[in-house]
Amino acid sequence: MSASHTHEEPAHVEGPKVLSVSPQNPKVRTIQVVRPENADTTYLAATATGLAITIRHFAKNLFLPRRSAKVLGQGGAPPDVKLRNDIETVQYPEEKVQYPERFRGLHRLMLREDGAVRCVACMCCPTVCPANCITIVPEESDDPSIEKRPAVFEIDELRCVVCGLCVEACPCDAIRMDTMMHAHPVEERWQAIENKTSLLSRGVKSIATQGGEGPDWRESKK
Amino acid sequence: MSTLYSILDWPGTKWLFLVFGLVMPLASLLTWAERRQSAMMQDRLGPNRANIGPIKLKGILHFVADAVKMIFKEDFIPANVHRGLFALAPILALVPVLVAFSIIPFGPTIYPHALKEPFDTFAFAANANAPEFADAIRMQMFAVDFGLIFYFAVLTLANYGGTIAGWASYNKWALLGGLRSSSQMMSYEVAMGLSLMGVFLLAGSLEPGWLVSHGATGMLTEQKHQMSGSHPLNWFWLWQPLGLVLFVTAAIAETKRAPFDIPEGEPEIIGYFVEYSGIRWGMFFLAEFIEIVFISAVIVTVFLGGWQFPFLDADGFRIGGYMMDGISTGGFVWKIPHWAVASIQFGAFGLKVVLLCWFQLMIRWTLPRFRADQLMNLGWKVLLPLSLANIMITAAIKLLFL
Repeated sequence: MSASHTHEEPAHVEGPKVLSVSPQNPKVRTIQVVRPENADTTYLAATATGLAITIRHFAKNLFLPRRSAKVLGQGGAPPDVKLRNDIETVQYPEEKVQYPERFRGLHRLMLREDGAVRCVACMCCPTVCPANCITIVPEESDDPSIEKRPAVFEIDELRCVVCGLCVEACPCDAIRMDTMMHAHPVEERWQAIENKTSLLSRGVKSIATQGGEGPDWRESKK
Repeated sequence: MSTLYSILDWPGTKWLFLVFGLVMPLASLLTWAERRQSAMMQDRLGPNRANIGPIKLKGILHFVADAVKMIFKEDFIPANVHRGLFALAPILALVPVLVAFSIIPFGPTIYPHALKEPFDTFAFAANANAPEFADAIRMQMFAVDFGLIFYFAVLTLANYGGTIAGWASYNKWALLGGLRSSSQMMSYEVAMGLSLMGVFLLAGSLEPGWLVSHGATGMLTEQKHQMSGSHPLNWFWLWQPLGLVLFVTAAIAETKRAPFDIPEGEPEIIGYFVEYSGIRWGMFFLAEFIEIVFISAVIVTVFLGGWQFPFLDADGFRIGGYMMDGISTGGFVWKIPHWAVASIQFGAFGLKVVLLCWFQLMIRWTLPRFRADQLMNLGWKVLLPLSLANIMITAAIKLLFL
């Protein structure tokens, strides 16, 4: 028992009756558990009450139609709907739960207005990535106004922890996780590695200003 | 023709008819119904996916999938088990339940040559050996005077299945499960047998077929007070309400399911079949569900009029009749052919059994399980005294008033 653990014991503790306390260690106690007497030792009344509840649920779920997939697919507990039963199961492949707007799904790479990749291979995302799942090999860009572009852009979806830090770190709105898709099921580990082609195939043109609005964006707002 | 009828009247034929016509299908369906029903009670959907191509049937085919899975699973036998007993235990659990069905009357006696007309009770009373009443097929394998005693004796053997499985498995938890199984059997078998004593006292018979055909008033000395066997007020639920409650409680304990699933105790010991896999485990599983069907059949037979449909006597629907020499007569009758009566009564038996199976599943998924000491308290301190009191009260009433 270190000194830091000394705290005030409450004067009265609700609970079992204490018969004796050990003089060596006050935490070692003999207690007597006091349980309330059974009002009904045959349990018949309680059984009937319980059966009434379960039979009500059973009958309601048996005879009333299910709530629609749309109602069930809302996030959180589905609301009660009149003349519908209480079944909460969403039958997954056919019916899906609607994900929240900021759901982090499979990555994608965004495009410039001319269709080229927005990524400038600044290495912010592989640096910030806690799972080390992003591999970027930069190369010189053809466009003289852009310094670099990724020659290789790979994300190992098996290592990704879906934290979204890469999206936060990206200064160019090049990488996003807003596809609402899960990582695909694969049979071999290499198949889970998303490359530049597959990441770009989900990309669309971004309307954000490339590289942000510059160091004097506050002045330009005025 | 009489060869055909003697084959049909052979107990083995009736056993095949009962087991493969009602018990096995119902027990297999119960494996699906239990999961589906519990799901519906807990606001879930339950298994509804198993299908053969487009045939889905709300998932009923799950029991086929289960059976196929269990048959093709590896039959794993751990080291150090007692091989002979290990193999014997599932059979010991399954066979007695199937044997015990031999005392259950599952339908009325059928007279094959009188199927087309309404049954002529007076002609039958005058001459039961007339040609149209020949080749009668009694829908009960063995109508023996010690019928219900036979059931107690045989069903107790099923407990050896669990106990031997626990012993042979060479596993502490399995052994604990087996011991719990036998201790539970001992404490509930007593109350179970005694709770039926009231029925025996009232009826003066242990033969289930007699209980069904005569009902609770069958032993009254004055025939004008005897009610027809099909009258719902003549069934034993009204005359032995306490006996019914006690018997249902003890019978559910006998099936070793919640709230009395101490021997299987999934949270703390897995149960006596912890070392079993594949179809051997499946036999324990099936035996449990067959036991549910059997318990339902016994409760139906003893307390709920067996195959009797309310107000349907042998010759048709009758209101305000009475019994004379074991034949209901008088009152207003709507005569219907013998075959129609027989099929309605078969259906009534099946429906009652299915409803009681449903009720047992309802109980199983409603109540929490007992602790071992609560279980023993209930068995020895509540059920046993109550069933003894039931016998005393019934005997006193019978002595003083009947």
